[in-house]
Amino acid sequence: MKAESPVIEIQNLVRKFGRTDAVNGLSLSVRAGRCYGFFGRNGAGKTTTIKCLLNLLQPTAGSVRVFGTDPARNEVAVKSRVAYVPDYVAFYPWMTVRETLEYLASFREHWNGQTEKELLGQFRLDPLKKVGHLSKGQKTQLALIGAICPEPELLLLDEPTSGLDPIVRREFIQTVIGAYQEAHPGQRTIFVSTHLIAEFEGLIDEFTIIEEGKEALTLESDVARQRYQRIRARFSQSPPALDFPETSWARRDGRELELVVNGNSAQILSRIKSYSPETVSMEALTLEEIFMASFK
Amino acid sequence: MFIQLNFKSGKPVYLQVVDQIKAAAASGALRVGEALPTIRPLAEQLRINRNTVAKAYTELESQGVIETVAGKGCFLTGNNSPYRMELRQEMLAEEIDAVIVQAHHLQVNKEDLLRLVRQRLELFEEKTKTNTP
Repeated sequence: MKAESPVIEIQNLVRKFGRTDAVNGLSLSVRAGRCYGFFGRNGAGKTTTIKCLLNLLQPTAGSVRVFGTDPARNEVAVKSRVAYVPDYVAFYPWMTVRETLEYLASFREHWNGQTEKELLGQFRLDPLKKVGHLSKGQKTQLALIGAICPEPELLLLDEPTSGLDPIVRREFIQTVIGAYQEAHPGQRTIFVSTHLIAEFEGLIDEFTIIEEGKEALTLESDVARQRYQRIRARFSQSPPALDFPETSWARRDGRELELVVNGNSAQILSRIKSYSPETVSMEALTLEEIFMASFK
Repeated sequence: MFIQLNFKSGKPVYLQVVDQIKAAAASGALRVGEALPTIRPLAEQLRINRNTVAKAYTELESQGVIETVAGKGCFLTGNNSPYRMELRQEMLAEEIDAVIVQAHHLQVNKEDLLRLVRQRLELFEEKTKTNTP
């Protein structure tokens, strides 16, 4: 793999199930060392896309490349450098935590026992406990430990936190990603699909929003937060009739005006100020709000 | 050192880290020679990506605010900016212009603005004193 070739490259991916287009012309590219968010509602095509990256499904049309190679032709070569945590984790219930990790390690050339020990301790997972007796959250923790100990170059996470306790899940996704990126961060790429975006707010470098199988928006997180701003203004009389092409959403209520703008926020703000509002404020949208706004 | 991120400010996250570390240095909350937190714990504490912390530290290093000692971590340097004095003043002038523009729009006049600047300077001096053993 050349240093500059992306870790994931998807071009015009189409995947049909019968007459339904689960993915319909998706393109995106993920550079090495990034934490890339793949946001979409349930049924938008996230899981189908990830399965195509792993050759668990074959594209109907278009192409996927992982480490610059076709995962269907070089399946073992690709999979040995990837770890995947599906949205629903299944283990053998009769194995203990320790046995499960040993079993997972047996498929891998490399296993970081130090990381394993560290995370088992942090999550207070008892190595002697039967997996069948673990809670859903603990099973996910175990799957995440099993995914990062081989120190793969690409970590594919499909809805890793859905269905879990909201306080716990933020904690542990942070811990796992921190441990994963500890060594050789330039060769640690994360591709995470989720609709619970708030938890990943600070972690995501760049994201794609997928809608009905197509890319709806791709941006760097910092750029997105600079571009999407909410402006609120209150006037002494009814708000002026302003029309901005960058406005993706607007609401007027009595003397108040609320706008969500997509770019040019400084100019729009100064134009609003020129009408002498009583109060005016502007704040960036969070990634989750940008996700919501993209459906309005 | 306490860093408080605000995702609603629209300011790139790494710049928020840069500015707050610089502010901590200016107020004496972080002292010359003192070690900065290492990347992973800070990333975990702030719930951000380690890339973002690394980018902030690289920026601070290029501005001469911190230095990296191999195998030991990052430390706050003395006040030795790599830039010439004129350039430093020019950089500051840009920021001051922005404040002047903002003051105009908020109808804060020259005297009040100068008084406010003096007040803020004194506040930082005060903080530095209380932060110095």
